[in-house]
Amino acid sequence: MDMATLRAKLDEARYICDDSLVTTLLVALKLGRPLLIEGAAGVGKTEVAKVMAAALDRELVRLQCYEGLDESKALYEWNYQKQLLSIQVQMNRQDPDALTQSLFGDEYLLERPLLQSIRAERPVVLLIDEIDKSDEEFEAFLLELLSEMQVSIPEVGVVRARSIPFVVLTSNRTRPLSEALRRRCAYLYLQYPDVEKEVSIIRAKLPNVNEHLAVQVARAVHGLRASDAILKKPSIAETLDWVSALEALGMRDLTPESARQTIGFVLKSSEDMEAAGPVLSGGGEDGCSCGHGHDHDHEHGHEHGHCGRCHSGDGT
Amino acid sequence: MSVYLEKLAEFSSLLRQEGLAVGLQETADACEILSCLDLTDRETVRSALSAVYAKSREEQAAFQRAFDGFFVSAERRDALRRQHEAEARELARRREEAQRELQVNGQPMELREDLEEVYIRMGQEKREQLHQMLERTRGTMGRSPDKLYGNFIRSVFMRFLLEQQMVMEDAAVDCEETDPDLALLYRDISLFKDADVPRAAALIAAISRQLDAELSRQRQGRGHSGTLDFKRTIRRGLETGGAFYRLSYRRKRRRRRRLVLLCDVSGSMLQFSEFALRFIKSMSEVAESSAAFLFSEQVRPVDPFALQNMDAFRDYVRSSGLYGRGTDLGAALEALCTRRPAPLGPSVTLLILSDTKTIDLPRAARTLLEARRQAGKVLWLNPIPARKWPYVRSIQTMASLCQMVPCSTLDELARACRKLMK
Repeated sequence: MDMATLRAKLDEARYICDDSLVTTLLVALKLGRPLLIEGAAGVGKTEVAKVMAAALDRELVRLQCYEGLDESKALYEWNYQKQLLSIQVQMNRQDPDALTQSLFGDEYLLERPLLQSIRAERPVVLLIDEIDKSDEEFEAFLLELLSEMQVSIPEVGVVRARSIPFVVLTSNRTRPLSEALRRRCAYLYLQYPDVEKEVSIIRAKLPNVNEHLAVQVARAVHGLRASDAILKKPSIAETLDWVSALEALGMRDLTPESARQTIGFVLKSSEDMEAAGPVLSGGGEDGCSCGHGHDHDHEHGHEHGHCGRCHSGDGT
Repeated sequence: MSVYLEKLAEFSSLLRQEGLAVGLQETADACEILSCLDLTDRETVRSALSAVYAKSREEQAAFQRAFDGFFVSAERRDALRRQHEAEARELARRREEAQRELQVNGQPMELREDLEEVYIRMGQEKREQLHQMLERTRGTMGRSPDKLYGNFIRSVFMRFLLEQQMVMEDAAVDCEETDPDLALLYRDISLFKDADVPRAAALIAAISRQLDAELSRQRQGRGHSGTLDFKRTIRRGLETGGAFYRLSYRRKRRRRRRLVLLCDVSGSMLQFSEFALRFIKSMSEVAESSAAFLFSEQVRPVDPFALQNMDAFRDYVRSSGLYGRGTDLGAALEALCTRRPAPLGPSVTLLILSDTKTIDLPRAARTLLEARRQAGKVLWLNPIPARKWPYVRSIQTMASLCQMVPCSTLDELARACRKLMK
């Protein structure tokens, strides 16, 4: 696969990204390296894995990390109930060694995402989401899988990958990952998109949305993200939710009033909602969110929500 | 291909000098990936190499600098060549000018080339100082010029060189353009402007959350390092027909240390102490109990965890009469060691936040020894950058008596807090 093909496939999957991201994805693919994606929550890290699965026409196997995640949840577990039943059924069998041997066969093995991904007949995309939430022990355990594409199961031995998955690891940087893990991965840092790119995303995901509203929302969200007063920065998914909500309510413009009514779709805490007031009404970095490229310095001759250049001739 | 390999090997070596952990694997990967990319597209090459070489956001910033310096575009190369030629002409002109200006008894002064360049880069004020000195010593120079002006000139020049070096070593200078948060993380706390403080506070809050999460993970993720718990194992075994599939272990009870903070709040230290306290306060799990003392010329006990609002901390310091005074570390440590009930003890970590600048250094050193004897561990957080330590006598003295950690930036402060957790 070359750059142009990958770009075409990502476009097909309606994923808006710049050339740098496409290059990084290609590097990871070509080298067969896992891709470690870092960035703030909501910048679209998980989406990269989903889109790559669609673009490469592969199944997506997802492992959601959390504190306390261990091998039995991530790699494999023996089906104890089935083993116990089997023991009781075959209690009178003459050869106890054979019985013991049979208890550790594929029949009793419960595959978890990691094992599932390397034992799949066709290569899959393996998403190890929020790796920073897992414990350091688990991170160390992943090293063998990521570098050798094999895992060791004490009762079975070494299980080598039948097919090499494309591995995507995501991290919100809540803790630093080990050097050893980083060294085994290609690295990508995702930032929030700029206004233009966010408008393109809205256009791609919600093709029926009014262009003018999309620009207004993208600008407003950009202002919210730039504000130090907002603690939980809005994600791209929340931008899409906000646009959808405004559209569903028949609001064609993002006025302070409509923003107030629907702000819950983009900000999820009362402190942030309070702090958003000045930002949305023009006190933020971008000034008013009328969507025009002109400068806003509060002396530009119109009230917010009543921008002559933004509003269509119907005077709304 | 061998040319590419050679170039890539040089580039890898440059990245190593920039602090990136680049091994043979990375160079091999870079070589492999370049063979299937369009090498004429500079940005594609940049992104591809960045993915291979840079493994964190911080490393990406260093990579961008190294890439721009190493893989120079054709236009940039021409521009640089023209610039270098112009600079060389200018240097030659100024060198001649310097030789005319620096004369002893009508003869050009014999200066090394590098010192001559230092003179050329000197500001007008420093040059005038030098000329005034030469004027004053004109009469005696004839007798023993080397001995008379040699030391002075060298000291003036070396100081200037040192200042230049310090500016160049300031990592934030290069980070500034790429990422403001990253720049703040690596900027010297003493260089913070008022406008930076809210952003720094937000950054500290974010890092503190990280530290807190790491701590809780450390506590919970200990696994089964304890001994086998027979009772629980047997009880759990009943669920699986008496087979002990799940073993239970006794968790070791982790004793947290007591922490005693001694904060220097004299004028220049206030900002640093405020930031450091924010970090320490947020790490609620570090210590099971803590006591804090603020000092300048006097010492006052204060409860850092009661100061929820850090603005109140500043107000408290100003109203307490400690602010704007000199620093007497010896008196503060003595008060701490003789205080009853004794705040120090074998299970206590004494954390000193100070730049070591104090009156009566010998007394401070003596009392620090006593404090070290009483406390289980003494850790000193010093806001002066480590590169300046060799030039500050008090730091050398104190660092030889206890473990001293440089904390001139927020990043170093966070590292120091991680050290505290261990």
